[in-house]
Amino acid sequence: MGTRIGASFPDGTEMLAADWQPASQRVSDYLTAMGVSEPLDMERLVAQVRLRVDSRAIAAPLEDIVESAIEETHALLDEWLVAELGHEADANNLEAARAAVLSGHVSGWSARWVSFIIGLTDHSLAPAIHALTILPLPEPAPLVMDANVIDLCCHRLRRRIAAAICRFFCHPELRTPAHGGSS
Amino acid sequence: MLNTTRLAGLGRYLHRPVFFLLVIFTTLGAMSLLTAAIQDGGINPVELALLILYAILMLWITASFWTAALGFARIMRRLYRRAPVSAIQARQENAGEPFKTALVMPVYNEDPERVFAGLRAMHQSLIETGAHNGFEIFVLSDTRDPETWIQEEIQWRRWALELGQPTRLFYRNRVENTARKSGNLADFCRNWGGRYRYMIVLDADSIMTAETLVEMVRRMELDRRVALIQVPPVPVNRSSLFARMLQFAGSLYGSMFAAGLSYWQQDTANFWGHNAIIRVRPFAEHCGLPQLPGHEPFGGEILSHDFVEAALLARAGWKVHLADDLGGSYEEIPPTLIDYAKRDRRWCQGNLQHSRLILARGFKSLSRIHFTMGVMSYLASPLWLLFLIATGIEAYFRSLKAPVYFFGDNVFPVWPQSYAVEMATVLWVTLALLFLPKLLSLVLLAFDPVLARRFGGLPRAALSVLIESFFSVLLAPVLMLFQSKFVAAILLRTTVGWPTQERGDRQTGFGEALGAHGVHTLIAAVAGVMTYVYVPNFFWWFTPVLAGLALSIPVSMITSRTGLGQLTRRAGLFLTPEESNEPRVLKLLEEQLAAPKTAGLDIAGKRDAWSQAVLNPATYALHAFLLPDETPNRRRHHALEGLIFKLQDEGADSLTTQEKRTLISHRDGLYELHTLLWAGSSVSRSSRTDQ
Repeated sequence: MGTRIGASFPDGTEMLAADWQPASQRVSDYLTAMGVSEPLDMERLVAQVRLRVDSRAIAAPLEDIVESAIEETHALLDEWLVAELGHEADANNLEAARAAVLSGHVSGWSARWVSFIIGLTDHSLAPAIHALTILPLPEPAPLVMDANVIDLCCHRLRRRIAAAICRFFCHPELRTPAHGGSS
Repeated sequence: MLNTTRLAGLGRYLHRPVFFLLVIFTTLGAMSLLTAAIQDGGINPVELALLILYAILMLWITASFWTAALGFARIMRRLYRRAPVSAIQARQENAGEPFKTALVMPVYNEDPERVFAGLRAMHQSLIETGAHNGFEIFVLSDTRDPETWIQEEIQWRRWALELGQPTRLFYRNRVENTARKSGNLADFCRNWGGRYRYMIVLDADSIMTAETLVEMVRRMELDRRVALIQVPPVPVNRSSLFARMLQFAGSLYGSMFAAGLSYWQQDTANFWGHNAIIRVRPFAEHCGLPQLPGHEPFGGEILSHDFVEAALLARAGWKVHLADDLGGSYEEIPPTLIDYAKRDRRWCQGNLQHSRLILARGFKSLSRIHFTMGVMSYLASPLWLLFLIATGIEAYFRSLKAPVYFFGDNVFPVWPQSYAVEMATVLWVTLALLFLPKLLSLVLLAFDPVLARRFGGLPRAALSVLIESFFSVLLAPVLMLFQSKFVAAILLRTTVGWPTQERGDRQTGFGEALGAHGVHTLIAAVAGVMTYVYVPNFFWWFTPVLAGLALSIPVSMITSRTGLGQLTRRAGLFLTPEESNEPRVLKLLEEQLAAPKTAGLDIAGKRDAWSQAVLNPATYALHAFLLPDETPNRRRHHALEGLIFKLQDEGADSLTTQEKRTLISHRDGLYELHTLLWAGSSVSRSSRTDQ
């Protein structure tokens, strides 16, 4: 786990000032792994993540600042993708869009992400994301496929023979079925 | 013309009687010979046992012989007759509403590179023939190994991006692999079966040419009562001596056997599990497999589902065909004797399980024969073993009173006056039934010079048959002991897993050979000494069996050598048509396997795939996208947390394969893991940034 910060840090803001440096480095690493390469984009994104972690820390003490920073980076990306997808942004489409942009095939995505953060209206990347969103499965076209009956010939034959033998020797009174209680 | 067609139609009714009468009369003939040979003053219990065993084994051998002989006759007939195609071709174009055919490949922990290379080769072949629009590809993954799972997804993504829209390549990994391969196919039918009229079922190592795929669809369209067409796969692509010999035998003799099978099976042929086209709706309707009552190995899930599915289709009145005249269907085989035996172990339980279905109500007689033949293909080995033991015992008792069989410089046994002729005849008849099909295949080559050239020319093919026969004599007793052991283990209620088949070329080392064949060598030594001391007459008869067992270690090692396989190839031995004139689709497969990996989602190495799925944002995002969107329940959440703690405290190596799979099986757990690992100090910076 990252740097553990708990009750000993009652004030979130103070804590962030002291501990942001390792979190900043980790967020940079994470953004690099995502495919963000422009230093300016990186700087803006890290700053935005810091702001988000900051406000989160004000709301409630953070358990782990680095973990929170990674979560906020993730959330920041999702926020942009939701904006890009508009009304189509359900959970599956969001996952698909994330997979599409992080695959490295959507050119200029990080710049567009940064533009979104700083509030610049730019051309939408939704068409490019859609083009790269390849569904793994087609629409369901179900058929009923129930298990068929296979009637085995000698199933439980051994048990039936054993039962018959038992009836014959152990319970002679059961050899012939009773025909009512007439006597 | 009409009369000829009608006669041919009526002739079809004679195929089965002809075949079964030939089998029965040949068996009876051989039995009468053996009875005459051993019946000197009554029959003792050992002799009776010998007779019964011989009767069963002879039925098996003669069925095989007459299948080959009838196949030989059919192929010879085809050589001199041209197939009428024009009428069929004309009808093909009139196929009503448009439909799609799914190429479905169920996979279970297979090498993803090979899986996708094979599919790419087939797809490319379809593109080259312009038929690709009628097909869609479905990779039905039952893979449990998390590394392989991630690699499959990466391969799928890469190819899907290349193909673009509209999507014709689909992939799914089943959450639970219930009922193994049959369950996998059933899951496909239940969810997407309505989308397709046909599905062509492939194995992970299947390769089929576009021409064959299209022809299969065309044949299904021609007869709406056909539910399944099986195209016999020819073994290809292996280079060890063992595999090349099998490939040669499969290619040369296989076509004859397939033609013979098709002759007598007619509309009630069998399903071999792959390289077959299936009409989806009747399959869904009739091939849902029940669990057999009782426990494994004979109860529970039906392991070898293919025979049962064919029988269920036939039971419902659908036709099942074997297209012996169609080429362009290939598969890969185990590279070594030991791998071959391992595969047998897997199949053995499935086939023996069919013994419960032979007498099940409602099946067609021929389906019962398929089940019986499947059972016999493994039961024959212990029966041969018992036969040998009974023969040894009989020989011992005879040695107490009878003269010796070998003396002086005689190479051949000299039988006692009373039954020498009969016993020698029994021996020669049995050998003839076993080896005549090989000879018939050479006759075929003599009549078809084009085909003979593809097998390296008649002289080389003849030499190859001779060497292959020699090795098959050596290998037969080893396989007999292997299979007898498997049957015994299964009868003793030991279950087997369903391990992945070894598909790549590899060689057997001394340690492995010793482990697998040490017992065989020991048995050879003990049986050799015992027979030499107590029944010296029998010893010489027994030498081919003893030699096979005594030499099993070196033979197993030598035949696994790829160098030797390649040497024989350069010498033109064991050459198959697929080697001498490589089909385009196999070349495409080679190209795919040799192609450099493209940029993007490449992974550094197989071992890192799981780590990449949890660390690399791109791989993580792809994997999360492919996971089902499920709301976690509390119990699962806690279980995942427990595993994450285990990973954090003890490292990734402490996790079992199943635990690793569980960790990346749910979006919520995966996200938690991803963020925790990126936040964690235990994960080095390089491992994160190097992704």
